[in-house]
Amino acid sequence: MIVTRNWLSEFVDLEGISDELICDTLNSIGLEVASLQKIEIPEGVVIGKIISCQKHPDADKLNVCEVDTGYSIRQIVCGAANVVDAEYVAVATIGTQLPSGLEIKHANLRGVDSDGMICSASEIGLPSFGEGIMILDASIGELIVGEALSNYESVADSIIEVELTPNRGDCLSVLGVARDLSAALSRDMREIDLKLNEHTSRAGISRHASLESEKKFDIDLIFALVNIDVLSLPFIIKLRLAFIEEEVKDRISAITLYATNSIGVIIRAYNEGCFSKDDGVAKIKISQNEKGLIEVLASENICSTVGVNQYAGCTPIINGEKVFIEASYISAENLSSMDVTKKDIQTDNFYYNTSRGSNPDVDFGIKYTLKLLEKSSNTEIYDGFLIHEYKKENTIIKVSISQLSKIIGAELDKSSVVSILKRLGFEVSISSEDLLAITVPLFRADILNAQDIAEEILRMTGIDNIKSQALSFVENYHTRAVYDEYLAKKSIRCKSVGAGFYETVSYIFSERKLLEKYGFEVIDKNLELLNPIVEELNTLRSTLLVNLLLAAKRNASYSKRTIPLFEIGAVFDKNREQKEKIAFLFSGSSDSENITNSGKPKMIYADAFIQKLGSSIGLFDLAPCTFQNSLIHPYQSADIVIEGKVCGYISKLHPIAQEDFGIKDTFIAELDVHPLIKTKKVASAISNFQGVYKDISVVLSKDIVYSEIKSTIDTLDLDYLKAFYPIDIYSDKALKKDRSLTLRMYIQSHEKTLEDTDIESVVGAILSKLEDNFGAKLR
Amino acid sequence: MKDLENISQLIDQSVSLDDLEKVRVEIFGKKGVLSKGFVKLKELQGEEKKEEAQRLNELKESLLGLFDAKYSEIKNKEVEAKLKEDALDLTLYQNSYQTAALHPVMETMDRIIEYFVSLNFSIENGPLVEDDFHNFEALNLPKNHPARDMQDTFYFADNSLLRTHTSPVQIRKMMDTKPPIRMIAPGVVFRRDYDLTHTPMFHQVEGLVIDAKDKVNFAHLKSILTEFLLEMFGDVKVRFRPSFFPFTEPSSEVDISCIFCKGEGCRVCSHTGWIEVLGCGIVDPNVFKAVGYEDVSGYAFGIGIERLAMLIHEIPDLRSLFEGDIRLLEQFR
Repeated sequence: MIVTRNWLSEFVDLEGISDELICDTLNSIGLEVASLQKIEIPEGVVIGKIISCQKHPDADKLNVCEVDTGYSIRQIVCGAANVVDAEYVAVATIGTQLPSGLEIKHANLRGVDSDGMICSASEIGLPSFGEGIMILDASIGELIVGEALSNYESVADSIIEVELTPNRGDCLSVLGVARDLSAALSRDMREIDLKLNEHTSRAGISRHASLESEKKFDIDLIFALVNIDVLSLPFIIKLRLAFIEEEVKDRISAITLYATNSIGVIIRAYNEGCFSKDDGVAKIKISQNEKGLIEVLASENICSTVGVNQYAGCTPIINGEKVFIEASYISAENLSSMDVTKKDIQTDNFYYNTSRGSNPDVDFGIKYTLKLLEKSSNTEIYDGFLIHEYKKENTIIKVSISQLSKIIGAELDKSSVVSILKRLGFEVSISSEDLLAITVPLFRADILNAQDIAEEILRMTGIDNIKSQALSFVENYHTRAVYDEYLAKKSIRCKSVGAGFYETVSYIFSERKLLEKYGFEVIDKNLELLNPIVEELNTLRSTLLVNLLLAAKRNASYSKRTIPLFEIGAVFDKNREQKEKIAFLFSGSSDSENITNSGKPKMIYADAFIQKLGSSIGLFDLAPCTFQNSLIHPYQSADIVIEGKVCGYISKLHPIAQEDFGIKDTFIAELDVHPLIKTKKVASAISNFQGVYKDISVVLSKDIVYSEIKSTIDTLDLDYLKAFYPIDIYSDKALKKDRSLTLRMYIQSHEKTLEDTDIESVVGAILSKLEDNFGAKLR
Repeated sequence: MKDLENISQLIDQSVSLDDLEKVRVEIFGKKGVLSKGFVKLKELQGEEKKEEAQRLNELKESLLGLFDAKYSEIKNKEVEAKLKEDALDLTLYQNSYQTAALHPVMETMDRIIEYFVSLNFSIENGPLVEDDFHNFEALNLPKNHPARDMQDTFYFADNSLLRTHTSPVQIRKMMDTKPPIRMIAPGVVFRRDYDLTHTPMFHQVEGLVIDAKDKVNFAHLKSILTEFLLEMFGDVKVRFRPSFFPFTEPSSEVDISCIFCKGEGCRVCSHTGWIEVLGCGIVDPNVFKAVGYEDVSGYAFGIGIERLAMLIHEIPDLRSLFEGDIRLLEQFR
């Protein structure tokens, strides 16, 4: 919403209040100022009166004018065609510096002297409107020849753009903003003169028009009939419409647009000729269409849809024609129940106002517009109005001062509360010592309860004037579960960072085609995203890895040689169930380029990646891979097992995928977050007896994976066997399809120092089990 | 005895610990010079024996002194030689390790979480795919409400949607528990918007405090948020501006004085001297009605994390935060 200082002053007394104070006030009452632009008319631009105007003897397009600039009469050559219609103009006198940098000097144009320049709007720093030079009129104040134009406050105005929140439809007009300022600055609103000139023989409207409605609709309409002779737009209307960046289509719509912006009532005009006549009486019909919208009809033609749109067919072209002026109101609530936007109905500029709440005072609206017309033209106004009125009840809120004080947290003073509310247009009656009965004006449909009233008081008092107070809160027990989970995740994040992985955050979106290509789950079609923003983000991800790979690809293109990334985030299965995963990716060199590796670190390899993963997520076991997708390397992959449960996988990136993403050797891992969140640990007793390390080497088939051997030994559940792990593998031709595996065992008892026989029994049990299960032989 | 006098020279001439060991045996050994001297004592009597013994003891003492000094001298030389042999320019290895960094947005969120947890707020979570009731309806955003325009929403074929704010977690919490409540809900939210200053996903931390009727007021809200912003940004001015959110009434937006120009006006603050950092307000009675709460009062606030992180770390480009760009991330190591 754009307002100007001078326009505001038509409604509220702003005498002595600086532009800056106006802006600060607007900000502090919730009408956020987006910009303040002060129009600066250059010094030396004065009001001039054209005394004569003749064609230039040697140039068709130029005119030679005698212009009175107050203290002298100047000859000025002017190139604008409309100068012939002009009387009062803005003249840049010799020495004037225009905003473009041009300095006005004496000139000779094709043999004719020119002492000054007759200006167009844009030449002196105003927004441009109309063609040619500005033709001034008394709408900006008494025109005094020779007076600096910068002394006219309506021209050298300050333009303030306000960003409105959606609840403040009442401020979509200069009047509405002025009302808020009046309350905030404790300044009085001005009386608006609506009285029309007395016409001797004013005919009544009912002799010329009738209004007919199917039924009583929840809308207000009021029609006036006018006969406009010649409508000339006052300069100030053109200028202000240019200030608020409204384009003028024709003169009558300029008037309606101006009126609507000025006071917030929706004003429209229709050509009386469009309406069918019965005995010379034009018939206006109101009816509801099949979509539930209410229309103003001229016989069978739709003139407008109330609150929504006006149709070009009935727009008047004034040429001594009769014109209906209409002021309308439909509540935003009523309009929203009609679901306009979803029905693919065309809306016009006023729909923004009506959908947020236009000014319901149609009576004021029509009178204001008629007064404007009367001022701008020789207009015959017919007596009386055609009215469709729907009785609306004002909301009444009963609230005590102490209740308001408790919402805000400050002791409020009754008289200032009442004064604020009255200035905002509320009626207040004091029913008892403390209790107020507040009648909400119809234009404030957003005020429904005591808290809404508290907001009005708070914003007018200024939040900055409310003293902060600490809240004393009696604590209830609340579970720490989510916080513990957060802490556990944070610990994993920090450890991952320590292991060299960068934390990344990617969109939870992915490309359906890409997920399908790599064999990942996709959301069922009937649960899929309806309005994706781009194709690359057209579904929810079922894996974090595709996004990590895309990030790796980007980093590779930035010549990054080591790309270690991880992400914790939500993924979704085909039923769109949400699950939290953590994924790791390591691409390229396994190490930094340094002295030790002579600047040639190895490409990332399984062992190095597994170690980094262990540093990040803690203990895990590996088992043959049971996952399937096209990122997984079938011969270098494994399941990640935590506390006996498979919760993800680790793999070298499949070479085809590696090629697709254009990256170097890469390892990936993705697993559920939940199993990583450790429950409480319980310590067990530590043995004080010496333990023994013992190595054995067995020969068995290469086909037997270590995890099988491990689980086989685990099933023995040997008391003294505290730990065992593989330390060497060996194969040669003599071993053929077998290999030799060396296991190191740590054997210890809680009760005694072990004897040789105890140790041998452990080793023996393992050997015979391995022989039974795998045909393993001691080497 | 002349030998004895000269043996000090033997000590002095030693150059290695091996030499010194030989000298030690020669002097202090069982068959060494000193021992021989002491054996000869038996042959003496009376005063003479006494004098000779004293002389021998003094000699032994001084030789031991000489020996120890020499030993330390040689030992030190050898250690020094050994150390020099081990010399290594450690400064060459300063890039021989790898470390990474937390994501600046997540790290900022951590700071916010820790601030409120230290005030005993609980943390709550909620689903990312929400329904109309939790995301809009219960938050006083009925269908066709113009404020829905503020939040361009991602919808699914089955009418569910991606939450546009963390506020539905408030609704879930309130429907799940009785007041009092003091909670934050950190997490990702989604708006259908994609340009220089908008990404379709971003992070928020929602805060909610509910207690008995008339207990929680706007002054309390002002207090906690002012302190929070001072904690996050240090010495800044905090300004509350009335605003509008459907789920709070009264509502306010909160600005801090621009941390770049100190309020003078610059590009970052659009020459206003102020930067908007969060929204807040007193919970609207319609929200309480929707969850079936009676006789309560409360406040709520919502903080956009990306914006805070960008301000704190002077990150120029919002979108770069979601691209896993190591060139950006490595600056936070």
